[in-house]
Amino acid sequence: MLHLVESWWAQNALVIGGFTLVFLLLRAGARNERWQRAWDRLKVDRAGLIALGVVCLYLFIGALEALQLPSSSGASRSVLDLFVGHIPVEKTYSAPLAKTLLSESKPDPLRGTHLLGTDALGKDVFVQTLKACRTALVIGGLTSAIYIPLGAVLGILAGYFRRRTDDLTTYVYSTLASIPEILLLAAIITTSPWGKGLGTMSFALGITGWVGLCRLIRGETMRQAERPYIAAARAIGQSHARIVTRHLLPNVMHLVLINFVLGFSGVVLAEAILSYLGVGSPVGTPSWGVMIDSGRSELSRDPLVWWNLTSATAALFGLVLSLNLLGDSLRRAFDPRRG
Amino acid sequence: MTAPWRFPHPGRALAMIALALAFAACGNDPNQAPLRQTREDGTPWTVRYAGTTEDPRSLDPQFMYDQISRRVLEPIYDTLLEYHPMKLDPFEVVPCMLETMPQKEVSAEGGITYLCKLKPGILFHDDICFPGGKGREVVAADVEFAWKRLCDPKVESPFHSNLAEYLAGFNEARGTAEKAGTFDYAKPLPAIDVLDRFSFRIHLTKPFPQIIYWLALHCTTPVAREAVEYYDGKVHDGKVRGDFHKFQTVGHGPYRLRDYVPRQMVRLERVPGYQTTVFPSDGFPPEKAEWLKTLAGKPLPFIDEVQMRILRENIPIFVLTRQGYLDGMGVNKDAFNAILNVNKELAPKYRERGMFLDKDVDVSTFWLSFNLDDPVIGKNKKLRQALSCAYDNATYSEIFFSSVAPVAEQFIPPGIFGHQKDWQNPYGFNPAKAHQLLAEAGYPGGRDAKTGRQLEITIEAAASGSEDRQRAEFEQHAFETLGIKVKISENSFARLLEREDQGAFQMASGTGWGADYPDPENFFFLYYSKNVPPQGKNISRYNNPEFDRLYEQMATMENTPERLEIVKRMNAIISEDVPAILNFHKAFYTVVQPWARRTQGNPMLEGGIKYGLVDAPLREQKRREWNRRPVWPLFVLIALVAGGAYYALRWNRRQNA
Amino acid sequence: MLSYIVRRCIYAIPVLLGVMLITFLLFNVLQKPETAAAINLGPKATKIAREQWVKARGLDQPLTVQFGRHLKKLATLQFEPSWRTGRDIRETFLQGAGPSLLITVPGFFCGLIASIGLALYQVFVRNSLMDRSITLLSVALMSVPAMVFIIFGQAVIALSLNYFPAFGYDWRGWETAKFLVLPVMIMVVTNLGYDTRLYRAIFLEEINQDYVRTALAKGVSSARMLSVHVFKNGLIALITLTVSRLPALIMGSLLIENFFGIPGLGNVLFMAIQTSDQPVVLASVYLGSLLYVASLILTDIAYALADPRIRLS
Repeated sequence: MLHLVESWWAQNALVIGGFTLVFLLLRAGARNERWQRAWDRLKVDRAGLIALGVVCLYLFIGALEALQLPSSSGASRSVLDLFVGHIPVEKTYSAPLAKTLLSESKPDPLRGTHLLGTDALGKDVFVQTLKACRTALVIGGLTSAIYIPLGAVLGILAGYFRRRTDDLTTYVYSTLASIPEILLLAAIITTSPWGKGLGTMSFALGITGWVGLCRLIRGETMRQAERPYIAAARAIGQSHARIVTRHLLPNVMHLVLINFVLGFSGVVLAEAILSYLGVGSPVGTPSWGVMIDSGRSELSRDPLVWWNLTSATAALFGLVLSLNLLGDSLRRAFDPRRG
Repeated sequence: MTAPWRFPHPGRALAMIALALAFAACGNDPNQAPLRQTREDGTPWTVRYAGTTEDPRSLDPQFMYDQISRRVLEPIYDTLLEYHPMKLDPFEVVPCMLETMPQKEVSAEGGITYLCKLKPGILFHDDICFPGGKGREVVAADVEFAWKRLCDPKVESPFHSNLAEYLAGFNEARGTAEKAGTFDYAKPLPAIDVLDRFSFRIHLTKPFPQIIYWLALHCTTPVAREAVEYYDGKVHDGKVRGDFHKFQTVGHGPYRLRDYVPRQMVRLERVPGYQTTVFPSDGFPPEKAEWLKTLAGKPLPFIDEVQMRILRENIPIFVLTRQGYLDGMGVNKDAFNAILNVNKELAPKYRERGMFLDKDVDVSTFWLSFNLDDPVIGKNKKLRQALSCAYDNATYSEIFFSSVAPVAEQFIPPGIFGHQKDWQNPYGFNPAKAHQLLAEAGYPGGRDAKTGRQLEITIEAAASGSEDRQRAEFEQHAFETLGIKVKISENSFARLLEREDQGAFQMASGTGWGADYPDPENFFFLYYSKNVPPQGKNISRYNNPEFDRLYEQMATMENTPERLEIVKRMNAIISEDVPAILNFHKAFYTVVQPWARRTQGNPMLEGGIKYGLVDAPLREQKRREWNRRPVWPLFVLIALVAGGAYYALRWNRRQNA
Repeated sequence: MLSYIVRRCIYAIPVLLGVMLITFLLFNVLQKPETAAAINLGPKATKIAREQWVKARGLDQPLTVQFGRHLKKLATLQFEPSWRTGRDIRETFLQGAGPSLLITVPGFFCGLIASIGLALYQVFVRNSLMDRSITLLSVALMSVPAMVFIIFGQAVIALSLNYFPAFGYDWRGWETAKFLVLPVMIMVVTNLGYDTRLYRAIFLEEINQDYVRTALAKGVSSARMLSVHVFKNGLIALITLTVSRLPALIMGSLLIENFFGIPGLGNVLFMAIQTSDQPVVLASVYLGSLLYVASLILTDIAYALADPRIRLS
């Protein structure tokens, strides 16, 4: 079955499907009046628009890398490879824009030019940084896909039904939050039956990350549930399910959106720590976290190998900064009082 | 409504911070102050600042088995015999606590014994476990006691099973103790016969010339019964006593353990009156002979105090060495590139500083294991040969060891009897040959000739840290050039061990073996068919009757030309069968500060601290030179704060205008 | 009030039980005791040695028996000695708490001073270019992984400035401070971005309240306004945040302690996981959850004390 998932058309279908899903969700949101007003405010927020643009750029690059081309040799080629696949792989480290390998005794000439140098195994750092976009987006996306439904649903249920449901939910997340994250993450990842992979990482991060959203949604739901229109709906005789889906859910979705954007950046940052702990991306998958982690030994070499760490940090920084600024703008757009 | 707590008066808070900072600015020397300034006779007290990467696991000589622990243990406990520090090729064992080399005797019935005599006058370190607190003389009964401990199940000695094969009565003693629940130390042990105060006789069950090497290992060194009984780790008078099995030591070597602060440092202090060994007078390498001759015969140790910091990360090691706060890289990890990245020479930056470059060749070999029980790889010799030809170990060494670690052409590392200097691996890196062999194996171009499906292999790799990742990627790439699909399965160290034990793997990367003693038997036993896990370490499950026969023949031979022939034949067999892809012999550069030039670099020793020497005045001078403190950051800081305040005032005025 | 506290304490018990159960399962079910033996005895130990190690520690007993034994010990705060060092875990914790606190507490307070100071400054010059720049800077600081700060801090700053030791720790009374400066500075910088934005938002919300406008109209100077009134009222939110950070303060920072060689609690748990030291893991998790639950209760109490409008139901 795994073969099926790894075949190129299945991967492409997943990517296209994912984007379509997001598009549909946004369209559904556009029908909401609150969201329309927020969008109006967002349109004149220059910083927010730039941030949105940058995020979309990362999404684009990531998509380019995620879309696979059919290939006969068995080695996977992505659409991104069409543009950068021609850059050759060297033997080992080389400095940015250098002509030879980074070796004082055997400075062999390089086969090509590398904008940001090459890493330990000779791969072009710039290309690796671009490819790692996909990894970051996949981890962020999958983790969000796990923790958002979990946190939002439990949060709404706890906030609406209160009493026993609330107690149960509070118990569950208190317990989970008390367990040190490192332990949970390390335990889940090292012992997962699917082995180390992006899926497992996302699962672990998702399981440990839904608590914050749950608490947020729970609080907001409790506040909304006090409002008269909810009481009115119940007086009319609307079922709980209808109230939750028709009235409550749309009114907390903006919080979900903001939390998603900000949480995404947290997940992407967490990947670096996971790499340090030894439970990061699997071998062969380009990832910023791994590049940063390799800086630990690279910065102690002589001559200094700084380009790997710097490139990954810059890329990571760009994405996280944009996400944070976008989150801020969204917050301002939905609630202009909070400056 | 008032605030529940008052913010501390800003003036006082600032004063406290300033005071703390003032103390802090007393310099960037992270080392502890030395125990004293001068020795008893008024000469300066010298200190050595070393580093290690992990905490020791145990300092019980009969129990500890890892390199890090051995590094701390070696200066504290001497051994009956020891390796001559300068003789490396071949290694030579010389007497240490014994007066002379053991005398071998063969009795009429064929019983093999070795007669040994301890040097009189060797003292245990002073400790409260002895009456009066004074250390007493080491006697043969202490050796007997130590060897009995090896058989005591409670000590959990990892050496017992190895020695039990050759030392009389080891198995029975252990068996009896397991049934009885405790070990009876009153009962004599057949393996060792105490003849008088200093002499004893060792009884073997079969010929074992390697016993000499075992007498140079710490597991056979004498320990004091008083110490073991006193330091039981239990509560006495309301306080927990140290545990001899863990970190409490009462040794007889040149140093005693003064402090052990977990996760921080180990401090050793010279024992005055140590006279068991002196600096050797022969065997000097020509490039150091002039200098070493001035030290010949001098009493050891030269250094009074050793501070060993525990440094878990590479960057601090690098920074401290650059600042001169570490005397050298006695850190035995692959992180040698922390300081150096050049093959044959020091980088100019370091040469200017006067640092020395020492090359340490470990007596070890590393390889990728095949599982010969695996249906795909196990039965297909040509496939294994093909994979071996596809592996570019020279480039591997270049990337990860700056080509310092020599490529392993054969299983036996240099320095060990049987290593052939001009032997070439018949299945070394040769891409053309690899492709051809692959086709012959039934997988032309990487695809199964019959089904057309791409061949898939899985490599089990360790998964801790970025270096491991890079190595795994390298291996993946190496075999993918053949057109094969390679999957890397990352495992924690424990999982990896588990898989190797159970045989649940196809290929395992990073397997290696460091010699316990310099004898080919210590390497070939890894492929002896009776050593399959769980009994032994033959994780490849290699089973070749011819090899087994030759192994049994040569295992206990002395180093004669006949033995050499047998070893050569065994080498040829293994090279042809390819149960593993040979990678490299571990070696690394060590950067040594100009004031801490090493007198020796024997890999069979774990640091040889007692032979170390430092030039303290030179160290002081260099440290001052290398740690200049620029003043401009302070100005920048003041400028920023002033600028910010000015801006705020201007803004405020504008707002209120 | 007292009944509330008691009720919350009782409520904490099932949480602790749940935590211990999950941790115990994670550790035991997912890793066989033989593997733990292999790690602890080293790669050269034989199978027989490993089996004996397992038996000596009672790891071959059924899981329920083992769990019961653990619970009994933990309830009385008795911990099994560490598998790795054989030492009493309490001793390790007490020894490690000192260095950890010496970094986290000054780090926390310096961070507090720095971020509150910066936030107040921002409110003082609000809507100016400086204000926006500092916001941007805060967000930028938030967007860099902590590890990068540490790596750069050590490799670049320590090496070029030579003011403070780049590594190590040694208790020398006041002089201990020199080992703490770099780690504390890095800790402050790591949290500065997030905290500044937080406090700025809190203070701005206070500024926009009616009482501020009234006071300003009455002639109170802005400086006094800020430092006394706004600050005091923003304190409520501040306390909540402070108390919720308590467990992290005591448990220390894993990364900083590893890189700077501080023998604190931060890497005790991590090293225990890596070396499969089950008693230490269980004890650490137990203490960690105790602290967490305690901080939850404290937060609620502090909140209630600070704002009498909130009813504790």
